[in-house]
Amino acid sequence: MSLASGIVRSVYEDLRGIVLAPYNLAKEFRYTYHGLQRGEIPPKHVAWTWISTLGAVLIAGLLMFPVYWMFTIAISGGGIYSFEFLPTNPTLENFIWVIGPLTVPDNIVINGPLVGELFRIPVPASIGGLYILDPGQFGMPRRPEYYSGFIAYAENSAYVSFWTVVVAMAVIIPGAYGMSRRDFIGRKKLLYLYILLTQVGGGLGIAVLIALYTIFQNLGWLNELLPLGIYYGAGAVPFNTWLLKTYMDGIPISYEEAAIVDGAPSWRIVYEVIIPLSKAGLATVFVFIFLAGWTDFVIAQLMLDQNNWTLPVGLYDYSGRPSEMDWGHFSAFALAFATPLMLVYFFAQRYIESGLSFGGMEG
Amino acid sequence: MSTVSDAAQRFKESSIGSVLEENSSAALVLPGLLLWSMFMLLPMVYIFILSLTNAQPANLFVGDNRLLGLVPLGEADFIGLENYIELLFSIQAANDIQSGAYGAVFDLFLSDPVAVFNYSFWNSFLVTWAFVIVSVTGKVLLGIAIAMIMTGNRVRGKRYLRGVIIMPMGVPVIFSILVWRAVFSGAQFGLMNQLLLNIGVIDQAINWFYDDRWLAFSTYVVTEMWLAYPFMVLITVSALQNVNGDLLDAAEVDGAGFFSRMRHVILPSIRRPVMFGTILTSAASFQQFLIPFVFGTGAPNDQNQLLLLYAYVEAFSGNKSLYGKGAAISLTVLFFIGMFMWVAVKRGNLAEEAGEV
Repeated sequence: MSLASGIVRSVYEDLRGIVLAPYNLAKEFRYTYHGLQRGEIPPKHVAWTWISTLGAVLIAGLLMFPVYWMFTIAISGGGIYSFEFLPTNPTLENFIWVIGPLTVPDNIVINGPLVGELFRIPVPASIGGLYILDPGQFGMPRRPEYYSGFIAYAENSAYVSFWTVVVAMAVIIPGAYGMSRRDFIGRKKLLYLYILLTQVGGGLGIAVLIALYTIFQNLGWLNELLPLGIYYGAGAVPFNTWLLKTYMDGIPISYEEAAIVDGAPSWRIVYEVIIPLSKAGLATVFVFIFLAGWTDFVIAQLMLDQNNWTLPVGLYDYSGRPSEMDWGHFSAFALAFATPLMLVYFFAQRYIESGLSFGGMEG
Repeated sequence: MSTVSDAAQRFKESSIGSVLEENSSAALVLPGLLLWSMFMLLPMVYIFILSLTNAQPANLFVGDNRLLGLVPLGEADFIGLENYIELLFSIQAANDIQSGAYGAVFDLFLSDPVAVFNYSFWNSFLVTWAFVIVSVTGKVLLGIAIAMIMTGNRVRGKRYLRGVIIMPMGVPVIFSILVWRAVFSGAQFGLMNQLLLNIGVIDQAINWFYDDRWLAFSTYVVTEMWLAYPFMVLITVSALQNVNGDLLDAAEVDGAGFFSRMRHVILPSIRRPVMFGTILTSAASFQQFLIPFVFGTGAPNDQNQLLLLYAYVEAFSGNKSLYGKGAAISLTVLFFIGMFMWVAVKRGNLAEEAGEV
């Protein structure tokens, strides 16, 4: 589990960096101030630092402004959505609408994929049925139908993405290793094909949508989540195999040779040398594959009925026709959907950058 | 026991056996390739067959007729190239071609060249190319500019800023597009309308998607730029970090200003990765489907239907669904994407960029 602990460690470091930022900044200010006083640092340099940093922050702020605007709408109630930089009467109502009433279940049921119910743990009657989140406290109705169904959509999305990741990882890791370290007839041609497909990938899925729809219809797979998950996994193969392969190319072959000399069988080389060394690449690929299942909208909206909708389809439904949409509800739903992914990206950025640097060797 | 190993030995020595053994590593790659083929290659073959038929929901899902016992075709009939002819030519010209009256088509062409062609298709085709050219130029310039700023020597907290900057890449595409639809919403609360109303540039809300085709087109371009700049920034940043610092120092010592350093040192060193990113991102623009789909299905009057959306609308519009026609458009799109990619690969030395082949 070195991969997981490595990720946890780097997220921790990032968080510490953010928390300690004011302290470090203050230290730097003092240093600069003294430097200026003693004339060791030219004022021009300090001015340039200020100007360029402020400029960069301004640009970042401008680029992210639409998302911030969504946020201000989501926390302001009352149906009037003139832009205010800091809404005067912030409210959580819209977010509560997204989550809906939460109660302690009577039984905790653990379902296994495909096999259905695995365990059923009864919850003591004294706390069963109690509200964890009671909308009544906020003066909102307790009827579940009033709320967005976000959690049901998220369960569908999680189910789809689970299969996407399992199926895609199972074929991508050996594929990337084979492409990177072994030779066989047609290897270069296949790699070339994969590189071409990385660029045609998404559009290809939409271009063959008609055939896909009729095939799914014929096989009775319409409105089924499992085939959809496998489909996303299949679509993720070319790009991610290639990405992981370029990453593995950066691992010096001498590590493997050392392991061979020590008499390690080939599965141990993969398990103990290649996989730990390519953890940045694996993390990148994992994120990309997961997102493929979690975020696709086009195929899902065509294949699924409302009871099986995934999050993107649910979100699209709430966006409605612009004239009659509830801006507050829509914004809160959209942010609840996108914010976790934004955070993952923020913390995975260094992995993604090194994974995308095409053969760069890091980590 | 010995006979078995003898047989195995002979098998190994035979040519098939040795070929198999030398290439046994292909077994690592095959599962992925098969999985992909099942969900992408098979539908591609099927879509080709469909494009030669008059398939629609009413006849495709009826009966149990299978071509060669495999391909489900229902009661759809083969109609040859009719779908393609109707796609490229106007109704009148297509009828003439099918009845063999090529002379009439030629006369029509001489009297009114535009009347020969199918307006919807060619309009969609040209708009798609316009979209590719404009949006790719915008994306690349914006990406390089942001990357240069975010790697500037004097910018503090670069890593966190970059984390913020690439966030659009992490959010679901449908989220971004819906946010931008809200920005360009025709309602009074749309962000753009609020902004312009407050400044006083306009005195009543603009209906961004429905008023004017080029207005709607420009909202597509802005949205596409926002969607895709993080990718260009990532590529450019990693390229900029590989620029030889000694060269830059040498240029500075020799008295080169910012612009000559840019022109003679930085641009040549980042040219290849940026080229690579440009090709990738052009392909993305060419296949843009969601933006026009969400922004009013190619409004106004379907004039901004990019190619993939055009195919989708033909194929999935309730009772008027024409799978055969949609399949023909999809295949045309695939053909153009294929050509485009082929040229791009030949020109861009993409294979070398990937480090192999």
